[in-house]
Amino acid sequence: MCVHRAAQADALSAADPVVRVCNHDCRRRKFLACIYHKRIQSTNRNCEITADVRHDGSEPLVDVMFADGERLLMKGANLTTIEMLTALGSRCNAKELKEEQKSKKKSP
Amino acid sequence: QEDGYTRLLRQQVEQVFREHRLVAVCQYNSLPGEDVVLMRHYLRKHGIEVKFILNEIIRPFLSQSKYKNLLPLFVGRNVLLVSQDTKVKDMLRVLKGVPQINLLGACIDDTILSRQGVENFAKLPSLEAAQGQTAGALALLPSQTSSLLQRGPAHLTALLDQHILQLQAGQAGTPPETPPAQSSG
Repeated sequence: MCVHRAAQADALSAADPVVRVCNHDCRRRKFLACIYHKRIQSTNRNCEITADVRHDGSEPLVDVMFADGERLLMKGANLTTIEMLTALGSRCNAKELKEEQKSKKKSP
Repeated sequence: QEDGYTRLLRQQVEQVFREHRLVAVCQYNSLPGEDVVLMRHYLRKHGIEVKFILNEIIRPFLSQSKYKNLLPLFVGRNVLLVSQDTKVKDMLRVLKGVPQINLLGACIDDTILSRQGVENFAKLPSLEAAQGQTAGALALLPSQTSSLLQRGPAHLTALLDQHILQLQAGQAGTPPETPPAQSSG
């Protein structure tokens, strides 16, 4: 299900996610497994995913740096996998839409 | 009641933990088939085997064994890297080239280590190098004692030598003394 939701959003367009995973954090691990899926990877081959595994009790987070300098930071142990994927997907979709509108304005 | 196949798989897991010094737990993310083959090949060159384990099999085993602290790592898809040696450095070098496999922790010689612990373990010198360093450190103190004990007599010897040279130089400078006249009688 999480793969379908991520694929729907054409995720990972111009994004470099850094995922910090703590010992007991299954939700971040599921998120990582979803974005590593080949359908998701195929949407952006230039995307670099970094997993930072820690066992120091630090707060799990997902830090996504977009190509235009914008940053999406998702912190907190209570975020579900679907919520994270939806947030990332909606952000990517909004950027794609903006790009399309820009290219339409440029070419008459 | 578990079936025969489940029992067989559980026995295989027990055998893995019993017979291997290094059992590393990694998260397995989607990887193309040929990359999996290549990774297995490079790890096999260093005597490290890749084992895919089902959580339904390993979790019950771990919960009843001394490795229960590894339980939180077995969420989602995992893979075990096992070896009868502890060639952690080689394992980390191969995993560096495979970003889809994330090392979560390991059990080395019945000691559970986090990812950071595994990296620190890889930086340790070999057993022979550690033994040589220990022997060198232990030999340093007695060698210093020996030189300390010899320093006093050596200094005295040097002083006496210098004194002799000065006396010889003094005698060479002064005319020879006439021997005292012998009384006849």
